[in-house]
Amino acid sequence: MDEKLRRYVEGLFVDVPQNKSMIELKEEMIQNLKEKYEDLIQEGKTEEAAYNIAIAGIGDISELINDLDKTKEEAGNTDKQKSAMLTSVAVMLYILSIVPILLSLQSYHIFDGLIGFIVIITFATGILIYNGQIKQKYYRADDTMVEEFKEWQKKRADKTKARISISVALWSIIVALYFIISFSTFAWHISWTIFILGIAIEALINIFFIIKK
Amino acid sequence: MSITSDLLRGHTDTIILAGLFTGDSYGYEINKAIQQKTNGRYELKEATLYSAFRRLEEAGDISSYWGDETTGARRRYYTITETGRETYTRLMAEWKSAKAMIDSLIELEEKKNG
Repeated sequence: MDEKLRRYVEGLFVDVPQNKSMIELKEEMIQNLKEKYEDLIQEGKTEEAAYNIAIAGIGDISELINDLDKTKEEAGNTDKQKSAMLTSVAVMLYILSIVPILLSLQSYHIFDGLIGFIVIITFATGILIYNGQIKQKYYRADDTMVEEFKEWQKKRADKTKARISISVALWSIIVALYFIISFSTFAWHISWTIFILGIAIEALINIFFIIKK
Repeated sequence: MSITSDLLRGHTDTIILAGLFTGDSYGYEINKAIQQKTNGRYELKEATLYSAFRRLEEAGDISSYWGDETTGARRRYYTITETGRETYTRLMAEWKSAKAMIDSLIELEEKKNG
């Protein structure tokens, strides 16, 4: 009979997007209906009567579903817009990061130019990482294997994104350091080893991610 | 009876806030309490109940959390907030003054007719 109640409620939500608040409302309804049904059975009602009384007590839920639908849609859209904007700003900053270097080449203050370059790159990467953090978690629609898999997939994609952001930051900093050290010490014959150091750090980050898993 | 239920429906928020005033509760429990207090003459439709929960939550009068029942589905509990307590007090005062007003108006009418 629990299944019958669940099926009835699922039927009410059949045409609406399965977002978080909708799923929560559905679960809340099912739980409350089950308890009502069990109480009615305890009072001595037949299964059929208890089911009908429980269903009749729901009333017109369509208006509430419509309300939830609208509010969530708007919220989802603004999230997406925000995320797109943050990404655009980060990409723009990456492109602009070359400007201080170009300027410094003209004025022979190459060191200042490189500092500007690092600051901009760091900032842009920070935005990308932040953007990765605020992305919504995947919310399981039910307790099936498929849903579990989707959630896992989403989590993994998020992790990959965070790793890529860290990598970008690492290599930007290494390139910048390479130029700074080389131009300030003129030790070009040895300064390239910083890239080997970079590879080592990258490997350590990989190990860290694997252990964390 | 229809006047009664119309009147009651207008006070759904107050009824729910009153139900939560002394402790956290969830949908069915609140509705069951309403039924018991009215000797089975009144009970909220679930649609009305959930709409009220969402409205009150949006207004900051209540907040919700999922219980950690180990068996079966989880219950969604509601807690009244400080704002909610203030809202309850205000709504209660409004109802008392409205009740006094209606009483005096109706009684006056009856005397004239009598």
